[in-house]
Amino acid sequence: MASFKDTLKDAVRQLSFKTSLDSLKKKGVQQVSVLGLDRIISLIEAAVHRSLKSRLVGIEREAVADATKAEFLRLLRSNEDLQRQKSEVEEARERAEDEIDTLRRELTQNNQALQLKLEQDALALATRYEGENAEIAKKVAAVVAGLAQTPGATATTVEQRLMELVMDVVSGERQSAEEARRALHDREVDNLQRRIKKLNDNLAATEQRLQQVAALKDVEGGISSVYREVQGLATGDAQVGKKKELMGEIFKANLKLQKKDKPGA
Amino acid sequence: MSDSKQGDGPKKDHGVLYIGMDLGTSRTSVSASNGVRETVYSMVGYPKDVVSQKLLKKDVLFGKEALEKRLSLKLYKPLEKGVLKYSGDGSMDAEAKANLKAAQDLIGEAIRLAKPRKDELVYCVIGAPAEASVKNREAIIEAARAHVDSVMLCSEPFSVAYGLDWLEDVLVIDIGAGTTDLCRMHGTMPEEADQVMFDIAGDAVDAELSRRIEQTCPGAQFTIHMVKDIKERWGFVGEASERCMVDLPVDGKPTPFDLTEQIRSACSILVEPIVKGIHKLVASFDPEFQTRLKNRVLLAGGGSMVKGLDSAVEKAMKERLGSGKVIRIEEPIYGGANGALKIAHDMPADFWEQLR
Repeated sequence: MASFKDTLKDAVRQLSFKTSLDSLKKKGVQQVSVLGLDRIISLIEAAVHRSLKSRLVGIEREAVADATKAEFLRLLRSNEDLQRQKSEVEEARERAEDEIDTLRRELTQNNQALQLKLEQDALALATRYEGENAEIAKKVAAVVAGLAQTPGATATTVEQRLMELVMDVVSGERQSAEEARRALHDREVDNLQRRIKKLNDNLAATEQRLQQVAALKDVEGGISSVYREVQGLATGDAQVGKKKELMGEIFKANLKLQKKDKPGA
Repeated sequence: MSDSKQGDGPKKDHGVLYIGMDLGTSRTSVSASNGVRETVYSMVGYPKDVVSQKLLKKDVLFGKEALEKRLSLKLYKPLEKGVLKYSGDGSMDAEAKANLKAAQDLIGEAIRLAKPRKDELVYCVIGAPAEASVKNREAIIEAARAHVDSVMLCSEPFSVAYGLDWLEDVLVIDIGAGTTDLCRMHGTMPEEADQVMFDIAGDAVDAELSRRIEQTCPGAQFTIHMVKDIKERWGFVGEASERCMVDLPVDGKPTPFDLTEQIRSACSILVEPIVKGIHKLVASFDPEFQTRLKNRVLLAGGGSMVKGLDSAVEKAMKERLGSGKVIRIEEPIYGGANGALKIAHDMPADFWEQLR
């Protein structure tokens, strides 16, 4: 019985709320009446016993009292289970939401990194080409200047020939270098794109899971009935015979209405 | 729910939930063996278009919520004069079909309000008007079966009397919105001769009050819903305990009106037909038990909350029948549902099984 009292105390404690003296003063409360927890428990027990005493006698009363206490404890446990399940579902939902946030952030960062990389590559390529061209032109000019001092050669002719020669060589090299760079660049882009795809798949899967969790949360657990099994008329009922007859008539009317009185139905 | 279907749903080994339901024209109430008691106005609303649906974020609204958002909804009151607005024959039009769907959704919502657990057997008894047609009853059964394991219907006044354990020599007056039902109980299931029904009930009082306000309060603006609220707050017959001062808008400005006389007159229309019905049922009863019957008159249903109605009926009975004792039941809104719950509880297990 002590454990029942303790449980009752815990239940009353859980249902109570705390407030400070300052907040009570702010609300204009000057004095408070205090009712101890033990007194509340005693009152509940006394009320239950008085109610039972007025309706039942002897052993039956004790049996009902015990059954009521057992049922109270069962309902309390059932309530605790539901609370726990609710917390678990909420935790799962919060975890899924955190995961989605992280994945979204990673996806954004990777997209930004890819964009930056592409821009940097384009800029670097243009700068490098300009530098190489200037270098080549400088070299060619030096060669032409040397040839100009040589008798019998036309400067323009020599310059044209040199330029054609150099540019031909440079183009070939440039092409092969370009191919090598493109291969490297493609690999990087490919890696980034694969990573983005993977993140997108993860995001979709997590979102689906979140939806499932949310759907699960919408389904309320419901409230347990006080009965474990079908009851039927109590044999001690003062009008049991009459009531049995009435139940039979209601049933027959419903059987007829629901067409289950047909053979084979 | 057949055996073959049992494997599809959750395993039901946790317990048995009984639900008693009072399916009424104005309100639908449920009482369940898990302690839940709920009532909802018998109104169902569906969004008028895609815009309303997006705004309301729901496909269907019920009760007060539907009434409050009625401008965005196609609003249905699926019951009229105590029965479904549904003829049940092949010729029913689109409106009748929509009302049938609304009734089915309303029954589903009422059962959801009882908060059944998925792992419990749910057995439901629905109090339906005695005059409901077979097709009407079948429609109610069909709607409920989608949500429960087994369902039965019973006469509404009978369930009120059963809930109070008054099974013999008692006369139940159930004042609903659409109809007032009188039923004589004498230990067996009531037959046609034991029942009287007429349509002077809550809605008729609202219409009468509305007419009187219109005549006596020039410029007052109101709707039938406002009139219903006024009746529920102030409704009385006999001596007024206080003046009924009600604010009604006139040209957009709330203006106080004294509606005491209008309310008294409108509510008084209930008394005469009730006394006539009592007279008929008493006069055709076994003379040996007539006095006992007159002294055991139960007043139930939402309309019984009109203040002074029990005394007014009692007074009229004394004048016309020599004596009479009228008792207003403790919980007019839940009287039918509580009785249906008790019937569900007392029904033997094999009866429930056979109807699954």
